[in-house]
Amino acid sequence: MNESILEVEEVTKLFGGLAALDDVSFSVEAGEIKAVIGPNGAGKTTLFNVLTGVYRPNSGRVILKGKNIIGSRPDQITAMGMIRTFQTVELFEGMTVLENTMVGCHSRSKYGFLSNSLRIPRAMREERRIFEEAMQILTDVGIETRASDEGMNLAYGQQRMLEFARALASQPEILLLDEPAAGLNPYETGELSNLISKLRDRGLTIIIVEHDMGLVMGISNDIVVLDYGEVIARGTPDVIKNDPKVIEAYLGIGTE
Amino acid sequence: MARRKGIVETHSYRTFLIVAAFIFILPIWARPIPGEALHMDIVNLMVLTGIYACAVLGLNLLLGYAGQISLGHAAFFGIGAYTTAILCTRFTWFPTWLGVILGASLAGAIGWLVGKPVLRLKGNYLAMATLGLGEIAFILFSQLKGLTGGTVGMLNIPPLSIFGLKFDTDIKFYYLVWAIVLVIMLLTINLVLSRVGRGLRALHSSEVAADAMGVNTGSYRVKVFVWSAVLAGLGGALFAHFQLYINPESFTFALSILFVTMVVVGGMGDIWGGLVGVVALTFLPSIIQVFPEWIPGIPESLTNFSNYALVLYGLLLIIFMIFLPKGLSYGMERGVAAGRRSAKLLLDRIRAHD
Amino acid sequence: MIYGSATVFTLLLVVTLSIKGSTGLQWIVSGLTVGSIYALVAMGFSVIYSSTRVINFAQGEFSMLGGMLMYTFASKAGVPVPLAFILSVIIVTLLGAGFERLAVHPLRYSSVITVIIVTIGFSIFLRAVAKWIWGSDPVKIASFSGDKPIRFLGAALVPQSFWVFGFTALAVLLVFLFFNRTIVGKGMTAAAANPDAASLVGISTSTSSLIAWTIAAALGAAAGIIIAPIKFAAYSVGTMLGLKGFAAAILGGLGSAPGAVVGGLILGVLETIAAGVFPSGYKDAVAFLILILVLLAWPQGLLGRRQDVMA
Ligand SMILES: Nc1ncnc2c1ncn2[C@@H]1O[C@H](COP(=O)(O)OP(=O)(O)OP(=O)(O)O)[C@@H](O)[C@H]1O
Ligand SMILES: [Mg+2]
Repeated sequence: MNESILEVEEVTKLFGGLAALDDVSFSVEAGEIKAVIGPNGAGKTTLFNVLTGVYRPNSGRVILKGKNIIGSRPDQITAMGMIRTFQTVELFEGMTVLENTMVGCHSRSKYGFLSNSLRIPRAMREERRIFEEAMQILTDVGIETRASDEGMNLAYGQQRMLEFARALASQPEILLLDEPAAGLNPYETGELSNLISKLRDRGLTIIIVEHDMGLVMGISNDIVVLDYGEVIARGTPDVIKNDPKVIEAYLGIGTE
Repeated sequence: MARRKGIVETHSYRTFLIVAAFIFILPIWARPIPGEALHMDIVNLMVLTGIYACAVLGLNLLLGYAGQISLGHAAFFGIGAYTTAILCTRFTWFPTWLGVILGASLAGAIGWLVGKPVLRLKGNYLAMATLGLGEIAFILFSQLKGLTGGTVGMLNIPPLSIFGLKFDTDIKFYYLVWAIVLVIMLLTINLVLSRVGRGLRALHSSEVAADAMGVNTGSYRVKVFVWSAVLAGLGGALFAHFQLYINPESFTFALSILFVTMVVVGGMGDIWGGLVGVVALTFLPSIIQVFPEWIPGIPESLTNFSNYALVLYGLLLIIFMIFLPKGLSYGMERGVAAGRRSAKLLLDRIRAHD
Repeated sequence: MIYGSATVFTLLLVVTLSIKGSTGLQWIVSGLTVGSIYALVAMGFSVIYSSTRVINFAQGEFSMLGGMLMYTFASKAGVPVPLAFILSVIIVTLLGAGFERLAVHPLRYSSVITVIIVTIGFSIFLRAVAKWIWGSDPVKIASFSGDKPIRFLGAALVPQSFWVFGFTALAVLLVFLFFNRTIVGKGMTAAAANPDAASLVGISTSTSSLIAWTIAAALGAAAGIIIAPIKFAAYSVGTMLGLKGFAAAILGGLGSAPGAVVGGLILGVLETIAAGVFPSGYKDAVAFLILILVLLAWPQGLLGRRQDVMA
């Protein structure tokens, strides 16, 4: 077995009296696709927010590549190789597709206010590198022809792809996807599924939150099921499909 | 794509060269021709424009690019002015150029001191906190009588001189100020076209997303605030050496608002637009002063701009935010494009008719 | 935190009274008087903020206009005080409601910065127009019931203070009843607590925004009118009053009506004591220092809930 790249240990996050995450533990192995599923309000997005440093949990640890990242800033966590996409598309307004993607390169570039104001050659070289990498990634996800359009003007499916591209631009080791298939048509979902598998084959570790069970069961190696902030089941897709607790959690809130 | 980025860059630098050339030759023709006609001292007004432009370029980075509001930038302008004024009047030997540099630096240092805690606040709260800081600075300028001369202010500030070269006429000051503004312009264009510029715009649009993409938004916010304070301080220091006297009335809330209005009218996040905003609002009072000549019998109360300067600024702020949130220059571009379209449409129709 | 600050504040009052005696009492009563005004202005901020998440930078100008209109009606035109009061409040209220419809409502989907700039534009506009109409000299407005001071434990109270206290109490009561007893008001309270549920309680955000602005303008105008006989009225008083009202709202916890009252009273008293102790030129700085310190150290204020203050 592979060693684990990310360990979530006994994480609890309270909002007022509500435990959005209640003593959640699991570990993610390098190179696997881990799915996190659960009914609406189960705490999946909150989990991502804790992992990426948006929220500080009330207790527990998150160990990324051997280092506890609780208390680290989001940008530091991104620089360590873990990046996320958003459930509701969060593109940068007024910026082109290319510029959006170039922002994703932020953590792997370093020249700041002074060097860039003065256009020192090294900063310019870096800028060219960022540009070329961003173009390459746009080509990879298939939206390079829209590079100079404003990101917000893309069709919804392409906006999702752009979010994807922007995250990939940081060349992450772990990619967190929050409902990437939401709002996509079946064809686009198929493309997405291929893309995710391709990324896994390149060695990327992926954690995906998704309601589309076809997609989840098709690509994930391992599944964690959350309900009311608690882990109620974990295992391979086959195990989860037949777990009575999971079926009940989903049925209990009404069929969706 | 590759092309597009290239276009944006050359476009910016080409505009820069055109503006620089225009500024270089402006005093040669502007003084005799429109200046005479309008009874305006165009060079003198352009000096003031340049001084304000320093502050507004910085504020545009802060407000227009990073989306962080400050309603207290008059404080930094004032700190720059008082620093050099105090040094150069207390110690007559003190090099004035050093006073200007120290003024800008002190403004930056204070910007850092207050910015670090205050910039943790968002939108409305940041606006109120900076407003409060501006008011405190104004109170200090008026109350620290031993240092600032109180409400009377400071007189007999020496003109700026750099290594024996004295900038004691409008025209000399004009070239100095605009050389400085053009340098700042160039630095600013470089900055906004770089990863830092993208980071600032990302922060403006969605802070969580910017954070998640690896932009250290906290540090960016402080840095851009400090830089804008330095530029405001620089403007203020130049102002002191141009006017040769200062008092607290020059650094009130109204000045902070004027800066914000200039950014808004020019177009938030539009460097060239910002310049248009500064020119428009600096010239406006003088242009209105000329009205009686064009419109005979106009009542006196309408020709005295100071009566209703703020009425107008207020209206401009409201109208621009509702109808032209991208500013004057963008609006003009749009207007020209629309004009062209409708002209073409008309032409097509005429052709079809034939 | 709340008990801690209550203790500190009580101690401050006791110390002031024991050191300064009747002068101290005088300070405290004057402090409570201006504090009541700050409380009304703060309530204006809170009402608009809690239903629309907008800070109305023109809130103080409503008070200024109230005072100036009162001057025109009561002192210049000789309209009887109650009628002049009502007229002034109505005009300002219409102005506030009109501004909401024309400028704030169209911007309901815009960014915070846009709305801030627009309300700042409005405040500058009102202030400048007032200067144009009334000039820059302060004007005097007669007290509602004479100027003969009332002696109380060695302190002299102007009768207008009682009008201020009485009116503030009445206004607070009315606002409370509106938000807790009427259907519309309860709907607005529910919608403010949970914006997603706004449509469920049957009151549109559009209506609730208009109502909030109307109430805030009326509160502001009334505050400006009743304080005018004690402080002078002038075109320039609104900005400072607005800032202090905001400081009071922050101190009490933005969005909380009881917080606004508590914050206003505390700020008024602190400021008056400070003005007695420090050179008077620094008096206004007190409010700003409090504002900035509270914002930084303790942004949810005394009675507010934790909010999205921090970036
Ligand atoms: N900032 C917050 N403040 C208070 N409560 C919150 C906050 N964020 C989330 N919650 C609550 O925490 C719980 C979990 O929310 P979360 O968004 O993590 O669910 P989710 O599993 O992502 O649901 P969905 O499938 O709908 O996206 C919900 O009850 C939600 O209301
Ligand atoms: Mg979610």
